[in-house]
Amino acid sequence: MKLLKFGAVGALALGLASTAALAEYPERPINMVIPYGAGGATDISARTIAEPLGQAVGKPLVMANVTGAGGATGSVAVQNAKPDGYTMLFARVGSHSVNPAMKATLPYTLDDFRFVTVYEINPVACAVRPDSGIESMDDLIAKVNEGGVSFSSSGVGSLLHLAGVMVLREFGVENPLDAATHIPQKGGGEAATAVLNGTATFICTNSSALASFVANDQLKPILITTKEPVVGFDAPTAADLGKPNLHQLVGWTGIAGPKGLPDDVADKWGKWMAEAVDAGDFREKMESRGSVIELMSPEDANAFIKSQYETFRALVDDLGMRIEG
Amino acid sequence: MQNIHRQTIIGGVAILLALFLVFVAIPNWVYAPSNVRKLVLSPLFWPYALALLTLLVGLGLVFTGMRSDERLEPDPAEMPGGFFRLAIMAVIMVIYMAGLPRLGMVWTSMLAFAATAFLVRTRHPKTALICAIVIPLLLYAFFAHVAGVAIPQGLLVRLP
Amino acid sequence: MSLMDSILAGLSLVGNLESFLALFAGVVIGTIGGAIPGMSATMAVALTLPFTFAMQPITGILMLLGVYKGGIFGGSIPAILIKTPGTPASSATVLDGYPMAEKGEAGRALGMALWASCTADVISNLSLILFAGFLASFALNFGPPEFFTLILFSLTIIAGVSGRSLLRGAFSAMLGLLLATVGLDLIYGTNRFTFGNPNMMGGLNFIAVLIGLFAIPEILSMVWDPKGNDGTARKLGRNWVTWADYKASFRSIVRGSFIGVFLGSIPGIGAAPSAFLSYSEARRKSKNRDNFGKGEIEGVAAAEAGNNGVAGATLIPLLALGVPGDVITAIIIGAFMVHGLQPGPMMFIMNVDIIYGLFIGLIVSSVFLFFVGSAAIRGFRYVADIPRGVLVPGVLILCVYGVFAVNNNIFDVGVMFVMGWVGYLMMRNEIPAAPFLIAFILGPLLEDNFRQSMLMSGSNPLILFRGPITWFFWGLTAITVVAIVRAGYRATRQLRKREARAADAR
Repeated sequence: MKLLKFGAVGALALGLASTAALAEYPERPINMVIPYGAGGATDISARTIAEPLGQAVGKPLVMANVTGAGGATGSVAVQNAKPDGYTMLFARVGSHSVNPAMKATLPYTLDDFRFVTVYEINPVACAVRPDSGIESMDDLIAKVNEGGVSFSSSGVGSLLHLAGVMVLREFGVENPLDAATHIPQKGGGEAATAVLNGTATFICTNSSALASFVANDQLKPILITTKEPVVGFDAPTAADLGKPNLHQLVGWTGIAGPKGLPDDVADKWGKWMAEAVDAGDFREKMESRGSVIELMSPEDANAFIKSQYETFRALVDDLGMRIEG
Repeated sequence: MQNIHRQTIIGGVAILLALFLVFVAIPNWVYAPSNVRKLVLSPLFWPYALALLTLLVGLGLVFTGMRSDERLEPDPAEMPGGFFRLAIMAVIMVIYMAGLPRLGMVWTSMLAFAATAFLVRTRHPKTALICAIVIPLLLYAFFAHVAGVAIPQGLLVRLP
Repeated sequence: MSLMDSILAGLSLVGNLESFLALFAGVVIGTIGGAIPGMSATMAVALTLPFTFAMQPITGILMLLGVYKGGIFGGSIPAILIKTPGTPASSATVLDGYPMAEKGEAGRALGMALWASCTADVISNLSLILFAGFLASFALNFGPPEFFTLILFSLTIIAGVSGRSLLRGAFSAMLGLLLATVGLDLIYGTNRFTFGNPNMMGGLNFIAVLIGLFAIPEILSMVWDPKGNDGTARKLGRNWVTWADYKASFRSIVRGSFIGVFLGSIPGIGAAPSAFLSYSEARRKSKNRDNFGKGEIEGVAAAEAGNNGVAGATLIPLLALGVPGDVITAIIIGAFMVHGLQPGPMMFIMNVDIIYGLFIGLIVSSVFLFFVGSAAIRGFRYVADIPRGVLVPGVLILCVYGVFAVNNNIFDVGVMFVMGWVGYLMMRNEIPAAPFLIAFILGPLLEDNFRQSMLMSGSNPLILFRGPITWFFWGLTAITVVAIVRAGYRATRQLRKREARAADAR
């Protein structure tokens, strides 16, 4: 009886809430879901932008880490939220282009989200142990052809997994899945450790994740996938080696809402982001950590992600890497 | 003493669980890609190994249960209304879960606090009622404003 | 630069009020955060992280370390008072701490927890300072095969926490191992027992399972029998731990500390298994063996030494290799990155002032922990005086808030409730919960490292016998298993004899 009454009142409140939503957005704090753990690359990036962004928005941003399943758990939480702009997601390359390309079982597709921006690009670097005798990509490929080469990743369907395969493929290895062994680890830190302790031969991941190991001479970079070289990484770029296809292989962070996000909300986010990236020392801080700040409008962001997804998807289908079960 | 020993019953449960896993759960709910080359690498290998071990443990429990005459523990005394109260508690938990996204965490918690307090026949009903209102609010204030956690608000009344 | 110069450089960096205030605040935040079930040390560190962005690097990092240390100790407070580990690492403290509280010795148990924690903390910090380089290079010898054998050995802990029936403990462990298979497969990424539910793809939340297993069954047994527990008013006891208690447990504390240092310096194990290993070793060696699990103060000491021994040592792989040792240090490494510091061998050369600053801060943190901990105990121990009829619903609500906050996910609250019923059924049937928990933590590690080894070797099982480390752990496992079997055999024979005597008497 009590419950019934509450139900009725709840329904009434729902009606009120939807009229109230017409008022100026945002009228209350916005929940920002980070689908990865605290202290990780996404988390740090998100919390760094949150400061200037919160000032631009004018309402508090409540940051919530919802981790699990390579970013899927948090993404689903936003996918199922009301598209009123009060629940937004920090989307990442892993959760929103590699995962959808590789996993048929993923409970969401790219079409379930509306991207309002991509604000950060992370170059990808490949590295090996300095005492491995591998000095360049050519050495690595020669080793691969001999056999016994392995690479580590932070899990199936992570950027690291796809990056390892894609790089080998671009450098002429016919079937990278057979030629090299993929040794998945539980996270990015573990993946780097696996190369350090000799479990795996090489790793391809965001340059920021490798920066400390490279600076400490624990790992030697042999490739950067961007056009421009990365500070601190003494390695040829994909452009130097004549592999322009690899420019698609970069990490990024963006913000997305659920599918039905209204246009005016998306526009507001575009405006806020423009303010936020130029405010204070945000750009400087991010660039010192190895990121490239590149603000995209909602349309550009969608196109960028779509094209990266298509590239990855083609590779995955080509090699039969798609996970069906 | 001709009752079946509790250890044997537990063993029986373990055996049933193992058989259920081997014949129903693992074939149906664990997916292995078709291109697995080595058996030890298959996603199925570990669950099957565990099911087998569970079966062994179950057999061991049944066996030791049959051999042992000693009652390892007295039966828990029957408690008047015990099962009824447990059932109510289960219902409270279900309603709690259902209420969280709809009513919000604070209001649902108040109801659950009061219901549980009376279910365990608290001797301090007034204190319990006051706590039922104050504690969820205090926890909300702490988690939402100090720790910055997005506590579910629900549709009814939004707290600041 | 000589050692003295390094220390002076470090001192000049941290020798200011701000640093010490941050460290102190960190310890306070950690102790309180750790004392709130579900909140846990991990969450407390994660929540503090954003606040340190704006601070000086050393100040921010010291604050996080303070939170970490405080949190690991703080977790023992609810573990002892309300049978709910505030942080996973304090699960082993429940085994003897809660029975002590039931007997009215909460104050003594808490005091011992604090003393053991501080002692272990000091040992751990000293190990970090003295042996960081050595232990770090040793840790790099741990590949998947070495891990596999280490974890296999750690699983023998189950025998030590199974209580009276080893087989029931084994059954409990099997349940834990099975439950840990839920989620996405590591190697192929396929679904295992997820039923297409995205919340289950990441596996069941560890803290939800933990709290469900320990706290909810207490609530349910109160529901089953409201009067039974109400009568025994649990005097928290003005009694405090004595010097004699400490001396009697000292061996276990030191042993536990070194177990913690060892497991902490190897990335990937964490504090909870260390606490359990320390506990089961103490039980094996102690002359009060039979009292373990019924409120033995040495058990509390061993468990707390085991988990705090990890706290300093996990910084070894972090500082010396730049590799996070567990979830908490993975968050702390984020703070290094934010400030543009790159932990690793070069940091000992380039940023020697920061390294020594941290060392000084760590040593001071042990002192702070002692004082903050004493104050916290004095504040929290009145929890034992709250009437059960109000405490029990309060614990329920607290667990719901805490478990939700871990991952901002309502599904986890459901996991906690369901695990509560599983735990209650186990409790009614005297199936111990601790083996379940250990298996749940170690099971996935065992499987993953096994399969990674197989990937490395192309499915050649001989890789599991590569090198002296694997042989060492295989040997240790064999010895322990033989000891367990022999002890079990002897116990059965004694039982027989007693039965025979009883039959004769009849």
